[in-house]
Amino acid sequence: MEAIWLYQFRLIVIGDSTVGKSCLIRRFTEGRFAQVSDPTVGVDFFSRLVEIEPGKRIKLQIWDTAGQERFRSITRAYYRNSVGGLLLFDITNRRSFQNVHDWLEEARSHVQPHSIVFLLVGHKCDLEAQRQVTRQEAEKLAGAYGMRYIETSARDAINVEHAFTELTRDIFALVRSGDITIQEGWEGVKSGFVPNVVHSSEEVTKSDRRCLC
Amino acid sequence: MSDSEATAAEGPEVAPEVEDASPAETPDTSSPTTPDNSTDVAPTRKTRRRPDPKPAAEVEEMPKVEEQPSKVTSSESTVSQGGWGYWGSWGKSILSTATATVATVGQGLTQVIEKAETSLGIPSPTELSTQVEEEQKQQGSSPAGDGSSETDKAAGDASSPVGSAMGMLSSLTSVVQSTGKTVITGGLDALEFIGKKTMDVIAEGDPGFKKTKGLMNRNATLSQVLREAKEREELQTAEKESSDSEKKVVAHYGMLFDEFQGLSHLEALEILSRESESKVKSVLTTLSGDELVQLREELEHIKESFSLVEFDDEEVDEKKDEDGTEFEKELTKALEGLSVSTTADKLSKACKSATNQITDMTQPEREEEESEEVVKKTLSVEEVHAAAIRSLAELTARSIELFHKLAEMILFSNGSTEPSVLSQLTVVLCKEISLLSKKFTSCLTTTGSHEKGDVLNPLITGVFLEASNSASYIQDAFQLLMPILEISHIQRRAESTEQ
Repeated sequence: MEAIWLYQFRLIVIGDSTVGKSCLIRRFTEGRFAQVSDPTVGVDFFSRLVEIEPGKRIKLQIWDTAGQERFRSITRAYYRNSVGGLLLFDITNRRSFQNVHDWLEEARSHVQPHSIVFLLVGHKCDLEAQRQVTRQEAEKLAGAYGMRYIETSARDAINVEHAFTELTRDIFALVRSGDITIQEGWEGVKSGFVPNVVHSSEEVTKSDRRCLC
Repeated sequence: MSDSEATAAEGPEVAPEVEDASPAETPDTSSPTTPDNSTDVAPTRKTRRRPDPKPAAEVEEMPKVEEQPSKVTSSESTVSQGGWGYWGSWGKSILSTATATVATVGQGLTQVIEKAETSLGIPSPTELSTQVEEEQKQQGSSPAGDGSSETDKAAGDASSPVGSAMGMLSSLTSVVQSTGKTVITGGLDALEFIGKKTMDVIAEGDPGFKKTKGLMNRNATLSQVLREAKEREELQTAEKESSDSEKKVVAHYGMLFDEFQGLSHLEALEILSRESESKVKSVLTTLSGDELVQLREELEHIKESFSLVEFDDEEVDEKKDEDGTEFEKELTKALEGLSVSTTADKLSKACKSATNQITDMTQPEREEEESEEVVKKTLSVEEVHAAAIRSLAELTARSIELFHKLAEMILFSNGSTEPSVLSQLTVVLCKEISLLSKKFTSCLTTTGSHEKGDVLNPLITGVFLEASNSASYIQDAFQLLMPILEISHIQRRAESTEQ
């Protein structure tokens, strides 16, 4: 497969420890489910190409952060260069849902002066019997923060593609409209290469710094 | 949509390329006695050059200036071949890479200009002016969003080598402008060629060139430098794919390095390093008197350990380490007490697979014994070269990953980490890179024994060059750990006084 992509988006995945961040990413990038895995140390990296429209590929560079509190001081440093993120909680773990607000605050304060597009993800939706967070309240919370809400399962491969593609499409729309711009010294969005095609000015505008927040 | 498109699962980057357009090198023309060619390039410059068939490919596209390309290629072959003696001892001492590189830049630039001039027959100021115009035109028309446009950046930064070169050329332009346009329109083809060629010569050493640029320009970081190199490779690959039907195995170090997530780990390491650096600074501003003096002394002690790394390439020859177990042993020893076993395992695995590949390649007899059907297709030199570049990129990426994980562990655990342990680790890694490159090149020599020098030599030089670059990146990553040890030291200190 050729490595030609229109843009590279950097996404960060955050949320409490053990909600399944690494598993979700591995399902998405490697297509398999890892039963047992060690807790993530600091941050790990994954990448994959996503075709959002025929012929339009986006390279996603995914930063998988450690959920454990003890790594918090380190992972904070990694927020700044992300254009988007998945905020995960475990639908069978009420506590992880309650912490969503803190995660969001943390992320928003550390991406300044840039903005970040988040998607709220209720993970482990295969474990319906142990559900502690209803879809309604999660959707309400997401709505309050202006986010989409999607329920996923890495084990059963439910909505995994959907979650990443939706987020990618949302970011792409913002890049297209000029609400998100490529900026020198910021790694959130990078322009890729398309052979023999000059980017139209609407797609790659090097306009003044603009911020969503 | 292809869901299985995970980058990690991608095979070696394969891209068609005009390989036969590589410089016509013959050992005879390149003997050190060739007067005007071999004298104008000092050994320091050689380490920064990446012999590359691409400029020659461009030459082919411009049939009108056939005479000049031939001159250029002969001088190029001299450089790469003359450099051979030097390759043997790269990385002999790693004392302060930064200063060494900066020193090289100045020298390199003069040589670049000299080389561009001597190899083409000194272009008149007129020619140079057109070149500048050409370059400016390119800058102007480059896609606006392309922040990595090298001419853009370089020209914008007055302190960068290219910036000053442009300055010099621009001043020539103003002299010429008064003579009128008619002169300039004379041989546009030739001039375009000169412009391209000069930029090629300047950028040829890439990523070495970019690296030096990175060190000159404080805003550019190592990961940016590598990223730019990778992006250019991707662009080239993309162009080749759309224009070329001929398939050949080409290995792009930068792209492979990224594929193994080396760039990301490097960037993350840089983030941690920069953050720690500013923390150290702010702590220092809060102190005064004896306290400040004492802390300064302690930090100085840490700094010293970072500037005293020595690595003797000669030693590497002595030891064989056929299957990589020796490396694993040394690695484990160096990492004793540092909880990064998972990452270290990845590194060991990468090393083992590289050595296994070499073993497979160098023992064709054994395969024949097994069964005639199983006999593997003999590898081409390009395939061996690709395997070498891939292994080097993987090993380097894993090394950077290891340094990144070490940085994270040091930052969140309060245990003390001796700088000497880290420098020992750096030495072990560089040694392994050196050893691997030697094994791979001897493999190349064996495989390509029937090949002509002009096919084989650039490949061998390429392996040595990327090995040399790999070692530089590892050493630079090691340097990034310094502020992390400093802040960790300060934190431990603060905790002990609190108790």
